[in-house]
Amino acid sequence: MWFRITHLLQSFGWHYTRQLKTQVKNKVPLARCQFMPQHRTLVLTPCVKNEEEKVSHDKLDLDIWKTIMRENTTEAPKPLPSEDLGDSFLPATRELVQMWRLAGKAVPEDITEEQLSIVNELLSKSAKKKYLKYLAIKEDKKKATKEKRKLKQEGAKHLQKEKGNEEGITLRNTFLLQFWQRSFDIMYNWRAAQSMIFGQPLVFDMSYESYMARREMENTVSQLLECEGYNRKSLDPFHLHFCNLSPDGSYHKELLKRYGDAWDRLLITVTEKSYVDIFPKDKLVYLTADSPYILKTFQHDKIYIIGSIVDKSIQTGLSHANAKRLKLATARLPLDEYLRWDSGAKNLTLNQMISILLTIKETSSWQEALKFVPTRKHEGFLPLPMEQRYRSQTKNHQNRKTIDSEPEKKAGWQKSTLSLNQAVKRSSDSRKKRWWEEED
Amino acid sequence: MLAQPLCSVAPRLQRVIGSLFTHQGTSRLLPCCVAPQLCTSSKYLMSTEYKQNDGNKRKTSNAQHERTHRGDTGSSFSLFTAGAARKRAEISKKQIGGTLADASTLAKVAKTGVPTKPLSIDEWKELKTGSYNKTRFEVSMMEKLLSTRADVDVAKSLLVFVTMETGTVEYELLLKYLVLCVQEQHLSEVLDLYVIMKTRFKVLDVGAYSLFISGFSKTDHWREAVMFLDSIKKMINPSPRNYGDIIISALQHKEVETAWRLFKEMEGKNLKPNEDALQAFFECGKSFYDDQYEKKMMYILSYLRDNQIYPGEHLLHSIHSWFESIPGNRWEGHVTTILHSGECHVCNTLLESIQLSEEEYSILQECVMNNIIQGTDVFKKTTPEELQHFQTFVKNRLPFDVVIDGLNVANIAAKGNQSRILLDVVSHLAHQNLRLLVLGRKHMLRGTHSWDKGHMAIIQKYADCFFTANISEDDPFLLYATIHSGNRCKFLSRDLMRDHKACLSDKNTRRLFFKWQRGHQLVLSRYNAGHKMKFEIIPKYDTIVQTTDDTWHIPYDEEGVERCSYEVPRKWLCLRRHN
Repeated sequence: MWFRITHLLQSFGWHYTRQLKTQVKNKVPLARCQFMPQHRTLVLTPCVKNEEEKVSHDKLDLDIWKTIMRENTTEAPKPLPSEDLGDSFLPATRELVQMWRLAGKAVPEDITEEQLSIVNELLSKSAKKKYLKYLAIKEDKKKATKEKRKLKQEGAKHLQKEKGNEEGITLRNTFLLQFWQRSFDIMYNWRAAQSMIFGQPLVFDMSYESYMARREMENTVSQLLECEGYNRKSLDPFHLHFCNLSPDGSYHKELLKRYGDAWDRLLITVTEKSYVDIFPKDKLVYLTADSPYILKTFQHDKIYIIGSIVDKSIQTGLSHANAKRLKLATARLPLDEYLRWDSGAKNLTLNQMISILLTIKETSSWQEALKFVPTRKHEGFLPLPMEQRYRSQTKNHQNRKTIDSEPEKKAGWQKSTLSLNQAVKRSSDSRKKRWWEEED
Repeated sequence: MLAQPLCSVAPRLQRVIGSLFTHQGTSRLLPCCVAPQLCTSSKYLMSTEYKQNDGNKRKTSNAQHERTHRGDTGSSFSLFTAGAARKRAEISKKQIGGTLADASTLAKVAKTGVPTKPLSIDEWKELKTGSYNKTRFEVSMMEKLLSTRADVDVAKSLLVFVTMETGTVEYELLLKYLVLCVQEQHLSEVLDLYVIMKTRFKVLDVGAYSLFISGFSKTDHWREAVMFLDSIKKMINPSPRNYGDIIISALQHKEVETAWRLFKEMEGKNLKPNEDALQAFFECGKSFYDDQYEKKMMYILSYLRDNQIYPGEHLLHSIHSWFESIPGNRWEGHVTTILHSGECHVCNTLLESIQLSEEEYSILQECVMNNIIQGTDVFKKTTPEELQHFQTFVKNRLPFDVVIDGLNVANIAAKGNQSRILLDVVSHLAHQNLRLLVLGRKHMLRGTHSWDKGHMAIIQKYADCFFTANISEDDPFLLYATIHSGNRCKFLSRDLMRDHKACLSDKNTRRLFFKWQRGHQLVLSRYNAGHKMKFEIIPKYDTIVQTTDDTWHIPYDEEGVERCSYEVPRKWLCLRRHN
């Protein structure tokens, strides 16, 4: 072996010595040093500059990493069978995902057949990437929660041991047994049952199944779960109605999946009928952000309808169109009147809606209720609600005639709420429609 | 003294612009009514400003150049000409007092810690221990090398360091190195890398294949790039660029059939070929010429026409020289602009009319009704009763000459009473003996300080009026009434109607709509209370690649002019055959 090395040294010159030393140090088989750079000519000058040395040194290096890579081939290249295209798609997709993982893209580590087929059905590259990224994020979250749980369990074990070491268990004197969650649940259910009999109805319109992608539908169901939970825990719950719920539709399936056995024990009304068939029409108010009318005061004898839809690509006028079709009264929350709106869409999530409605029902203060609007969307509350400001303004303009009540088409003027009031007095035909306006 | 008109206008404009920007989603435009006036009145002012800051002044002076010469060239400058939107933005920005921020203003800060010379293993080690992110040091370093366009030897020395450390190189790092090699055109290195990666990994990902395609297509191994393309096809749809790379190399190797097959394949997949690929077809056509090839080129030109693709300046140059290289035919090309009348300056040919054919017109009628007004749900924009009412209303009064978007016209100027402005415009048009239809919303009849009842009464004398419910959209009705009045009818609005165009189902109807819009939309270019009002001139010709027996006219995008999707180019190439 040493003979070989000396031989090499003679033939290559002294530039390699250092290199070889490292090779030997790193226990790289010497076979890898046996290459012949074909374009090398050795110029021996009495004084070799450092840089020159480096460059030549590097040209060698380059070959070294390549040879090492070549020698390292672990698996033999497998011939790709591409006879029937139909079957080769899933494996191809799987390989694509694996390679993307290697390339450092956001894709999940493990992927099920079902997910793979979903990836396959997606048409564009960007859609695939989006979906895979979503899966990757989901996977990461799962892992993180698992880790957390592990830590917790270990901590608990530790505590147990300590307690076990103490041995002396002293009995406390208390007038209550431990108050378990079960007792809470029973109390909540009593309240919910009471609301089923005496409570104010609140309708979720479930007729938007066809307008949503799968992900959006899943999000809607999560929000509905939160709604139901929040409602149950409130002091004076609404009597929830899920109307227009088509049996065996995607909504129904997802709800069953999420609630499990509890679905049949839920203290809410679920029906395939429309809200128009259940309640008197003149009592219904459809809450939609597209409505030109503002909900000024919460009325306890009205039935409010919330369209249960998550429209990530904002579908303007969808629920408003529904309300128009059924000739229902519509209203929107007074967001502009109470908040300095910053950015973001004015359509809120279902759980935000129900929180707002429950709060306004209990406190009848919009300031309180609108605390549930995400703070990122606004820059705080207005010092004086719009309506009052308008009122003080119009005192100076007594001689002025009424202002048109409807929102300007697309002009930049602020809509005035007061004008709404005045318009109400004027137009008797629409007075019935706008009974929720305050008459001043 | 000169600045006075500017100052007087500024606050008013500011108000308008402010209101424009606060109102999200408006498709209303900045009132240009003040813009031209500004341009003319502040001409000298601008030229003095020109010395002070050179941010975007060059363009505005260009614009002035346009303005002054508009008369003699005869090319109309309107809402739909390339660069109009940009100009509006500039004018409005200037009024507010801001300057257009270029995306490239942020000079790249030279990254520290990127070696410029190859390092030895020990030196790399040192760097790594001193680095912030140790886990992904190699990959992030490779990315830095890539962004600073460092020498390939540095990257190589990094790879050596990695192999010595770990005994292998990760796929991700190899991929980044591949990007570097392709970017810096180290083709032999790309070939080597392919051998290595092929042996190491069973399959590669789409990104790697794409890179190998662009790398291989520049070498003699370009045929293998077609194989890579097939591998990509198994996973996803290849990008136009993948195709383009191979097409270019196939043409360079005189393999016209392969290139043509790929071109057709792209067309089948609805991919728009990129300019470079198209350019390659014309560039390579100069060296070998036969009738077959000419047919293909003609096909490409008709493809441009059908898909309303406007070539850029480079591609146009290639087309031009290809035509002139055709033996025997003596084609001659000139850059030109077209007169309003649709006549070409150079050859006096009358260009295709902007009017739609009968068949197209009926298609458009159908689509406006089905997609824009009704859509999936009639209630979204109107109600069935209202629609019915409107249809009978229009039927009994057809045909109109001009349909006016009342609210849009009334809001053209920030100052002044809205009904007054509308009355001005309506009476001006009525005095020309035109049958008018004014569309509005019911609130305009209420009688408020901005909507005077007296004015509205006079307007109703001059014109037929239809007022939709306040929650309905009025634009769809405007389009419906105009289209149903027939080809002579125009509509008056500053709205670009982009949201309505987007409601249309497919590309072709969108194009038809746009063509119809260019030919039938009147735009108030100047409005000052009590002065003459001017409308933008509607061109009589269609801006599209077109041919007659011995001419070709090709509109193209000029270099340095930003054209929005709702604008059309102004410059043309006129090609003429002498016999």
